[in-house]
Amino acid sequence: MRILLIEDDSEAAAYMAKGLREAGHVVDHAATGTDGLFLATSERWDAMIIDRMLPGLDGLAIIQALRAAGNTTPVLVLSALGKVDDRVRGLKAGGDDYLVKPYAFAELLARIEALSRRVSSTQPETRLKVEDLEMDLLARTVTRGGQEIDLQPREFRLLEYLMRHGGQVVTRTMLLENVWEYHFDPQTNLIDVHISRLRQKVDKDFELPLIHTVRGAGYTLRAAR
Amino acid sequence: MRPASLLRTTTFRLALSYLGIFTVSAIALLALVSWSTSMFIEWQVQETVEAEATGLSEVYHSRELGGLAEIIGSRMRQDVEGRNTYLLMGHSGHILAGNIKSWPAEVSSQVGWVRFRLLQLGSVGPGVEVLAQVYELADGYRLLVGRSLADAKRVKSAINRALGWGLALTILLGVVGGYFTSRHLLQRVEEMSRTARRIFGGDMSQRMQLSGTDDEFDSLADSFNEMMDELERLLEGIRTVSDNIAHDLRTPLNRLRSRIDLVLLGAPDCEGYRRTLEETLADADHLLATFNAILTISHAEAAARLDRFEVIDPATLAGDVAELYEPLAEEKGLQLHCRADGGLTLKVDRHLLFQALANLVDNAVKYTPAGGEVSVTVEGGPSSVAVSVADSGPGIPEESREAVLERFVRLDATRSTPGNGLGLSLVQAVARLHSARLSLEDNQPGLVVRLEFPVTDRQA
Repeated sequence: MRILLIEDDSEAAAYMAKGLREAGHVVDHAATGTDGLFLATSERWDAMIIDRMLPGLDGLAIIQALRAAGNTTPVLVLSALGKVDDRVRGLKAGGDDYLVKPYAFAELLARIEALSRRVSSTQPETRLKVEDLEMDLLARTVTRGGQEIDLQPREFRLLEYLMRHGGQVVTRTMLLENVWEYHFDPQTNLIDVHISRLRQKVDKDFELPLIHTVRGAGYTLRAAR
Repeated sequence: MRPASLLRTTTFRLALSYLGIFTVSAIALLALVSWSTSMFIEWQVQETVEAEATGLSEVYHSRELGGLAEIIGSRMRQDVEGRNTYLLMGHSGHILAGNIKSWPAEVSSQVGWVRFRLLQLGSVGPGVEVLAQVYELADGYRLLVGRSLADAKRVKSAINRALGWGLALTILLGVVGGYFTSRHLLQRVEEMSRTARRIFGGDMSQRMQLSGTDDEFDSLADSFNEMMDELERLLEGIRTVSDNIAHDLRTPLNRLRSRIDLVLLGAPDCEGYRRTLEETLADADHLLATFNAILTISHAEAAARLDRFEVIDPATLAGDVAELYEPLAEEKGLQLHCRADGGLTLKVDRHLLFQALANLVDNAVKYTPAGGEVSVTVEGGPSSVAVSVADSGPGIPEESREAVLERFVRLDATRSTPGNGLGLSLVQAVARLHSARLSLEDNQPGLVVRLEFPVTDRQA
């Protein structure tokens, strides 16, 4: 992916750019809001990471300018402001996702990759398929190798989210936000317990495990490499 | 109090301007009274003169000039105080009867109502004013019947004097009253600003005095005191946080530092570095989680904008929390139930309330031994909705229940379990944000934490 990074803190920018490049992405960096807006409009990007507080031009103002110009490139807003109000304001300005500082790099990477996927699958899907695991979104049934798997409603949504982001890393926070729809901070290994339950149903009787734990980051659903 | 400062106060200026308006209207009123009184008195004199003149004219008609002169003579004798004036005079100037020596010069040729000054015997002053009626009789005779206005003048001036004194007294009372009223008000305002000065001088325990009369100053003082209580609580909270940050965060930060220090002291060892970095990352994450918890609490305590509140069904929220924790409870060998009354609504910050309930269930699951039971209950009362989390664990001794709500407080028995001691403080902050009552009770055995939300705007 070609990613534009607009961030004024050079150390944070270097850290992010290094990580993203190691993950196989092409990264360009702008240190001020005005440079960022110029770069954002002059070239095509697959995704942008924009810090909220920037010299020159505020991050939200850049996003608003881009959206007003019809630019639909997915944007991840980075900010030290983490209250629900702030998130809402960031998303209302046209951001696609919101990440609060300080963050783990794995979280940033997972979110930016999830963002690019969101755009490419705008078509309403009725069936999801990863290997021999199939999900019928209309009938709300899940089968694996032709064998029906009985899931609780929440387990169904958890698996659906994992399947929609098949092959990508999904973090615990992303799961909480998207499956449970609450912004909160569990102190315990809550999500892991839910995943291990799901894993019992999806992987237990099959040779090929699909749900994998990514150490220090989260989970991913894919055929083992 | 210096009088100069009193004169500058709003109350005193207000009192003065009221006094001014009042004085002007009092003067107008008194002038009217004085004028109408004098009119009335003169009218009375006029009546008397007219009655006298009518009587005399009747005598003149029946008994001619001689009889008239005779009657005048007898009337004069009756009038010992000399209030009346009579004069019957011929055309050549000779006097037939009367108690004045000559026709007054000022009214020599007038007929009808006249007014003149009469010099009394032996007096040097301007004399007495007389109101009189003059008649032309036959053969050039003229009759003057009058009455002295001296009495009327005396009454008038007595009334005017009384009115004047009344006015002076009114103004005096107004000034004195205004002075004392404004001094009284000023004293209370002064007292309040003295208290305020003492407070920002650093004595946070100062409070406004109430006079006990339940007046507007008392209600102002009351609101101020309430504000001060809240402020003091918040400041105390900040102080406790900084103390506790110093205490609770310094330890892990120091551990982090010495871990890095130690590994740098040793021989370069790639695997060792890696392990240390991983441990350091875990420490940093724990520190961040603690900071996040502190920030969430501050956010709740700062009473964030209430327009972010949304109407929710507490049963759904409680169900979501229970569902989220159900696998964890099961893993620990606990029963987790959710019993919720349907059809209720609450206006809350959904995310914060979820976090608060999650903290409670988290605690309950953490401290209840295997085989125990945890239940989340939502009950709708007539005026409140109670959300409670109960467990069958060891509970909290009554004397420690207050203490566990403080930030970073962890009972000695739980020091070794993971957590930062912020869970219940967050619950309390969330309760306060929603004006909910938080109570910790004995579940016999175990603990019940109950959040009681007042329902005032169920339709909202």
